[in-house]
Amino acid sequence: MDSFSLLQAVIIFVYLAGTVLVFAGPILHKERLKSLGNAAAVAGFALHTLNIILYLSLEQGLALTEGSFYFSLLAWSLLLIYFILWWRLRLGFLGLTAAPLALLLFVSSLATVGTRVAMPKSLIGVFFSLHIGSLFASISLLTMAFGAALAFIYLEKKIKTKAKLTGLGKEMPSLNMLDKVNHWVILIGFPLYTLGLVTGFMWARQAFGRVFSWDPKEVVALFVWFLFALLFHQRLALGWRGRKTAVMAIWVYGFTLLSLVGVNFFVVTHHGFK
Amino acid sequence: MDQDIFLLGFNHRTAAVAVREKYALTTVENFTSKLARAVPAREVMCLSTCNRVEILAVGRKGSGLRDAILDFWAKACGGRVEELAPHVYRYEGHEAVGHLFKVAASLDSMIVGEPQILGQLKTAYRDAVDQGSAKVIINRLLHKAFFAAKRVRTETNIASSAVSISFAAVELARKIFGDMTGVTAMLVGAGEMAELAATHLLGNGVKNLLIANRTFARAEELAKTMGGKAITFEEIIGRLAEADIVISSTGAQHTVIQARDVRPVLKKRKNRPMFFIDIAVPRDIDPDVNGLDNVYLYDIDDLKEIVEENMAQRRGEAVKAEALVDIEAEAFGKWLESLGLQPTILDLYGRAERCARQELKKTLKRLGPVPPEAEEALETLVLSLSRKILHEPVDFLKRRTREEGKADEFISLVRRVFNLDDDSVPADAHADRLDDSVEQGSASDPDTCQ
Repeated sequence: MDSFSLLQAVIIFVYLAGTVLVFAGPILHKERLKSLGNAAAVAGFALHTLNIILYLSLEQGLALTEGSFYFSLLAWSLLLIYFILWWRLRLGFLGLTAAPLALLLFVSSLATVGTRVAMPKSLIGVFFSLHIGSLFASISLLTMAFGAALAFIYLEKKIKTKAKLTGLGKEMPSLNMLDKVNHWVILIGFPLYTLGLVTGFMWARQAFGRVFSWDPKEVVALFVWFLFALLFHQRLALGWRGRKTAVMAIWVYGFTLLSLVGVNFFVVTHHGFK
Repeated sequence: MDQDIFLLGFNHRTAAVAVREKYALTTVENFTSKLARAVPAREVMCLSTCNRVEILAVGRKGSGLRDAILDFWAKACGGRVEELAPHVYRYEGHEAVGHLFKVAASLDSMIVGEPQILGQLKTAYRDAVDQGSAKVIINRLLHKAFFAAKRVRTETNIASSAVSISFAAVELARKIFGDMTGVTAMLVGAGEMAELAATHLLGNGVKNLLIANRTFARAEELAKTMGGKAITFEEIIGRLAEADIVISSTGAQHTVIQARDVRPVLKKRKNRPMFFIDIAVPRDIDPDVNGLDNVYLYDIDDLKEIVEENMAQRRGEAVKAEALVDIEAEAFGKWLESLGLQPTILDLYGRAERCARQELKKTLKRLGPVPPEAEEALETLVLSLSRKILHEPVDFLKRRTREEGKADEFISLVRRVFNLDDDSVPADAHADRLDDSVEQGSASDPDTCQ
């Protein structure tokens, strides 16, 4: 095992420990385990940052044509967004979404080594960075909204039906707090998603000479954008809150996942991983 | 040891309200210091709340201390011993320790697990310290009692859920709103129960309070005492949009707030959530309100159900807690026994010998094989050295303990200096010695006193 794969093994181990701890903390109602879990996530994130820097410097431009790199990058951006939410809203609860998904994505990145994205090296530039950066940030935000939405729907149902809160329910943040995540994600995530699409299309014009080519990826992404726009409008203009926006966030996230994983792997598209 | 711990007192089970009122120590000014002067006790501490009196004293066995305390107590409160005595329990030694620990851990409270008693006990202890009537034994006893209470709180779920209607309501409000500082509450009907719930809300950070009542004067009066704003009964629907929490408790025969009133209000509020608490019977708020999005309605039965479930859980946890308290009381009993002169001297020599042998073992290991005579000589050396060093302190201890009233103090000092009880001292040991009584006190609940 060379030092690079050793680093990856350590990252997996730390993420795994973090995931186990962030679940054990609230389930056993132990504050200490929760903070240990978050500490592990921070440590894993630091190592992961190192890993990405090493990878980019070792493989240079080549890294960007590897499918596995994008999984790793998504895991990283997911944790970054989680840490920002944790810091801004003092909301550690979403570690329950962020930690296991970061672990899963990082492991997937190792499992998909060898998949390639068709990408002429000359095209890696400003548009590309903006396209990937803004989309990954907004997908990470949507992931947080998804976790918050599941928690909101569960907790809201319990309160509405006057059921007793047990186990995890007792540890959940307030409904208002979970709703605030939804608000935050829509407010920031939608403009980012829009930017991601626009830069994507501009880049496509450079690369393929056409803005829109009925590529399945483009179609699904555009559909997600409309759904996201609807949510943005209902929330910010009509003042929707609570359960309805939580349900919509779950739909938006579901289709995002479909466009991200389903289309890239199973459909022929210029985003495909081969 | 020639000293023993005595505890006299009564609680809500052994004495009726009339007796508890008459013999409450709070009616007597400076009871503790007067008692300390009047009876042959070395240390004294008194706790008096509306549900109990506990008088803790340390004194010589067979000195008639208990009777003297009872006598003084009855007379100080202007009563008779014959009237007071049947309601009083008397514990001694280990039983007294066990009882005090249970009181501290709130296992003897009217509502088991409510933490106010700990704050009250801390205040009582602070008073005793201030008046100089708490010394070696009460100091350690109370610290161990607080420790036992802390263990019970952290290691069992005894206090993890609300067991009063108003607390249950506040807990739910916290689950809905989280931070309560920006929350506005509206009281519809200014009954006692509503007032209580509002007090809890204010205690949890709610800043704005609107009070509506059929008789406006009463609303104004309450608004003045609670720091809210009085509104007329007709204004309720119009100002509903300002309220995040509505507590209703009118005597009305029909519902006061209808679902059709609330629907437009929600629009005005941009769907910010509303929490309705209906503690009136018959109900004040149309049950259909709960069907609206972002609106939560709990009536008195819903809240009662939560409270009962939590109570049942507490009773289960209390069994676990008693076992914990027993362990702690046992440990304290051991310490108390060791407070004699002889056990302390033995412990001292024992500790010194253990240290000497440990060091000897290390040295022999480093030296490698040595002739048996040398090994024997080394052993004699370290053992006699350790004994010689202790000779003076032990002699000093023997002389000093002969002076009346000084034995416990010096023995306890020596035990602490040499750490004979293997106490680990956490970094914050002294920080919480007295200060968190304030925090406990502020959390106290005006409607229950343990």
